[in-house]
Amino acid sequence: MFAKEWRSEIRTRYALNTLALFAVNTLVVVSASLGPLGAAPGRSSETLPVLLWLILLFAAAAGLPRSFVHEEETQTATALRLAATPSALFCGKLAYALTLLAALEALVAPLFLAVMNLDVARPGLLIATLAAGGFGLAAGSTLVAAIIAQARGKGTLFAVLSFPVLLPLLLLAVELTRSAFAGGGPPGQGGQGGQGEAGVALMQLLLYDGAVTTAGLMLFPVVWNP
Amino acid sequence: MQVSGGIEWVMVVNLIIWTGLFLYLQRLHRQVRALEASQEAPALEREP
Amino acid sequence: MKKRTAVAASWLLWLWLAAVIVGAFEYAPLAAKFIGQSSRILFFHVPMAWAAFTAFITAGVYSVRYLFGGRSQGSPRDPRHDRAARAAIELGLLFGLLATVTGAVWSRIMWGAYWNWDPRQTSIVMALIFNGAYLALRDAVEDAEKRARLAAAYAALGLVVTPFFFFVVPRITFSLHPEPVINARGRVEMDPRMLQVLLASGAGFMALFFWLHDLRTRVLAVADRVLEAAAAGAPSASSARATGTSAPHLGEPRTGADPATASQRTSN
Repeated sequence: MFAKEWRSEIRTRYALNTLALFAVNTLVVVSASLGPLGAAPGRSSETLPVLLWLILLFAAAAGLPRSFVHEEETQTATALRLAATPSALFCGKLAYALTLLAALEALVAPLFLAVMNLDVARPGLLIATLAAGGFGLAAGSTLVAAIIAQARGKGTLFAVLSFPVLLPLLLLAVELTRSAFAGGGPPGQGGQGGQGEAGVALMQLLLYDGAVTTAGLMLFPVVWNP
Repeated sequence: MQVSGGIEWVMVVNLIIWTGLFLYLQRLHRQVRALEASQEAPALEREP
Repeated sequence: MKKRTAVAASWLLWLWLAAVIVGAFEYAPLAAKFIGQSSRILFFHVPMAWAAFTAFITAGVYSVRYLFGGRSQGSPRDPRHDRAARAAIELGLLFGLLATVTGAVWSRIMWGAYWNWDPRQTSIVMALIFNGAYLALRDAVEDAEKRARLAAAYAALGLVVTPFFFFVVPRITFSLHPEPVINARGRVEMDPRMLQVLLASGAGFMALFFWLHDLRTRVLAVADRVLEAAAAGAPSASSARATGTSAPHLGEPRTGADPATASQRTSN
């Protein structure tokens, strides 16, 4: 299934181009207004992680739902329902979303760091956050995309439905990215946290990933078939 | 609300609102019960 | 529930919550670090939040039952579960809104600002948006079976994500919220009379939620049957009025006005 997705994708290159263009566009806007000369340096490690994840979120919302909507629109969905088991289909779509998002992050993150002239105190944490956060983004988006593909008003509905689902992921990822840029850990209940706090937050992020993926595996068959 | 013994008024207003809500809910319960009963019987032709 | 028991139970609920209201203002002492009388709002704000949380869980559970509830292959799913889930979501929206408003009012008194993106505030907003999204999804699907199925899947997803809303996110960042009822050391440190009123209020609001849920589910069922009968039976003036626009909103009554107009027709 995964191979099939990529074959059709390579033929059109639509999603890749959309995602990349969108992300770079947003990055340009953000950096022009908030880049090294724009924002006060002290604040940058606070605000910039948010922007990074917003860019990723919007790019994902622009590019990922397409894979399902396209099926429904071109009527290939019926053929798929006959040909593949739901689990295989879901895994295929998920793998596709994952690689797409990984490529996106590989493009955006270095550019972001370079353009914003950021130092990364804990690069390992940053990579782990991008990986775990990206995974959750892909998994959540894939399931929601499957749901909205059979409804009307697809674009806005996807945003409406996915936002509350992805919000915990985003908040965790932003906190972790902040820690990765600045060092130390998330504040926690009492105040400034230490390195251990970041570990806890990362585990919660991974827990989220696991939960959403499991939910996707269990719910996708129901969504896909009457 | 600057009325002498102010906080008691809040309590009274609360009680009034709650009682009103409660009576409304009872009325709703009765109406729904009536509708359910009328739907059990083949009384749908009675709809004006 | 037999009619007499139901009536008696509801009067008991009235008495219970009336006692809670009086207790909140007369019996319970004021909390130490709160400004003036403002701590009294907690006896309502906290149970409303609990009710909203319960509503969320209820919707998720009914949705799972709807999707996977023991049925043999090929038999249709039980629409009652779908209605119950939808009713719970609507009530979650209601109680969540109430909790948010009471919380904002109290926040204004204590810290001068209605809103400060305190993690608990953020998580209740997340839940509210989720409930709204569920209803938006229902409106976006025309086919009744598909609508129920997709909405249930979304609510089930919400059930999975809920613990992150309510427990994980508020923990990772600094919070203005007072410590939860059971604090970090695992013991309750609230004045006993306050605790009594709070728990009594919690119980009362829970009962209120379940009563409202029962009523709303039954209203949805009645409306569904009216619309089904109208669709199946001979066209008439009243059925045209009842259905209004066709397919998209079949089985999706818009407001509480439906039972009122329907009951006026039957009681004539």
